Amino acid sequence: MKIRKALPALVLSCAASALAAQSVEVSYLTHWSPETVALLEAAATRYSADNPDVAITVRAVPFGDLLTTIRSGAGADAPTISGIYDLWLPELVRDGLTAPAPDAVSAEVLAAWPAGIAAAAQVGGTVYGIPNEVNVYALNYNKALFAEAGIAGPPATWDEFLAAAEALTDASKGQQGFGLINSWAAGVVHPFASFLASNGGALITDGVPTLDSPQAGEAFGLYETLVSSGWSVPAMGTADANTTGPFLDNFVSGKTGMIVMANWWESALKAGMGDAFQNIGTAPIPVGPSGEMASSISYTWQTVVSAGASPEEQAAAWDFLQWLNGEGTGENGASAMSDILMSMGILPSRTSDVAAHADVLGRDFLSGYVSVLANARAFPVVLGGQEFSEALQQTLEALEYGQMTAAEAQASIQADAVSILERAAQ
Amino acid sequence: MIGPAALFIGVFVLIPMALTIWLSFQDWSTQTPFGTARFVGLRNYHDIFSQLSVGRDFKAALRNTALYTALSVALLLPLSVLLGLLVHQRTVPGGQVLRTILFASYMVPMIAVALVWSKLFAPTEGPLNQILGWAGIGPQPWLSSPTTALYALVLLNVWQQIGYFTVLAVAGLTQIPAPLYEAARIDGAGPVQAFFGVTLPLLRRTLLFSTVISIINAVQVFEPVALITQGGPAGSTNVLTYHIRRVGIERSDGGLGSAMAVTLMLALIVAVTAIFALYRRGDRA
Repeated sequence: MKIRKALPALVLSCAASALAAQSVEVSYLTHWSPETVALLEAAATRYSADNPDVAITVRAVPFGDLLTTIRSGAGADAPTISGIYDLWLPELVRDGLTAPAPDAVSAEVLAAWPAGIAAAAQVGGTVYGIPNEVNVYALNYNKALFAEAGIAGPPATWDEFLAAAEALTDASKGQQGFGLINSWAAGVVHPFASFLASNGGALITDGVPTLDSPQAGEAFGLYETLVSSGWSVPAMGTADANTTGPFLDNFVSGKTGMIVMANWWESALKAGMGDAFQNIGTAPIPVGPSGEMASSISYTWQTVVSAGASPEEQAAAWDFLQWLNGEGTGENGASAMSDILMSMGILPSRTSDVAAHADVLGRDFLSGYVSVLANARAFPVVLGGQEFSEALQQTLEALEYGQMTAAEAQASIQADAVSILERAAQ
Repeated sequence: MIGPAALFIGVFVLIPMALTIWLSFQDWSTQTPFGTARFVGLRNYHDIFSQLSVGRDFKAALRNTALYTALSVALLLPLSVLLGLLVHQRTVPGGQVLRTILFASYMVPMIAVALVWSKLFAPTEGPLNQILGWAGIGPQPWLSSPTTALYALVLLNVWQQIGYFTVLAVAGLTQIPAPLYEAARIDGAGPVQAFFGVTLPLLRRTLLFSTVISIINAVQVFEPVALITQGGPAGSTNVLTYHIRRVGIERSDGGLGSAMAVTLMLALIVAVTAIFALYRRGDRA
């Protein structure tokens, strides 16, 4: 009888304890695939085991919807943590959507990450995010198609690159030498910026657009040559909202000989190619006529915390992020975040993580990327950067589809870029 | 008892419209309170019609929207009448089943439509190109070329909406008194003469309604662009609703986005008013 009377009280007491135990809810917004989200959820579960007062939920949206979801959910309903592309940070900070990192987090970011990567997480000298992945662009080429075309190795210069593109093109088989991407701003702009960097040029220098440089003119000319010669077929390069689509299909099915892409798409290539993935090689971006050494561009992703979250939620979010990105929370002294990134073939950015994953980073596909990282330039992170990227995308696509000449494209985008950055700075 | 309705319309229709118009004269980030808005006069309107990239993109989106709308309406109306004539015949076996199948496409969620059609349109392994291949026609780029991508989206729209407009046409056809056809037959009219002399004139109200609704639906196109083409390639499918989302939300330029929305609303009002004027003129003639 006593037990029967005590049971409801016990149940209520347990329920109350459980509620009290998970008093802070932290939501995490990402664009990762379900498999990667599962890894993040597993890490969150491990964290919550030691921190029962924090419940973490993960939500994923396609990359194409990520920024819109962050912006449209601003306020109290915003995700507590969002994974963002570094280009978005200045405008999110300007609009008061992201919270500055606490001093302890800020100090760790400045000490444990390379200076260039930590800089991309700062606006006006204040740290707003914890960097996680770093992506760099390199040339991916299909070794089997190269052997078939009698090409000994990857091209090192633009002349060799054009010769290889010509040799790899076989219109009768629907095969193109080099794959250009369209309908996806970063997929269009980053490879172009990489060619430009390898030709000694830059998109923006000290906040001023420099697309009117001779180096940029040569890069626009390179694209014009590829398309007008039929060595690149723009219709084979369409991307969809998930950053997949025909451009990926054509490469994995051996219809495209070369492409310039970042390291993160290793998992997509493996999934699409199976055993044939071993045919894919990675090489530095060929050096242009005005360039002195192979270069490329890099960009980072980071996690930020919503300024609209309550102080308790913010504190819990930063604590979780510090744990997730902290030394020793993953395998072999690496961070839990770096283990998740490495599952996708993405390079971690924390110095200790690079050391902890040295053996994996040495594998064929990734080592090509690691080798170009040292000479890569960070993609410019400026106010108006997203609009600038979209304008450059439009211009490059107009050039690819023959709506503009290289000279017209260069003049048009330089004028647009000046106007966009001036407006954004007002 | 008009009070509650007026209050409802005021709160949910007029205030948001007035707010959008007011914002179109401001420089305002959508992520900040309205209090931060700064009056800039007609600058936003000047910019969206200027030669700046923001102006060129807006004008291109306006042209894309107009073309998408015109083609959608031009295909939907005749097709819906044609299919309506076929399926409303009670004597035709399977008419009911055909009506159900036609309307089913309208009920399929856009995300499913987008997934299926993006594969149908796939340039290499897509079924549409394979079918064309059987007929000796070479593969078409569909969504992969700026010259065809918008037309491919129009096809998708017509496929999805045709069932709804066919149902409207059938509803209109059932309102036409049978004795009129009988009288036309006695006067010696054949099926074609009866169609142009009886059916079409008496379908005018239905067609007016269908025209207005199909224009509004087409102008509001968003999902297929967001899900399939992202406005590309080369901006060829960048329609106004998608562009306004890009400017107003992704770039958080609320003033500029509002000016675009107001311009779109004005264009729609002008188009619908012109259609009603034409209809009234036809009534008087």
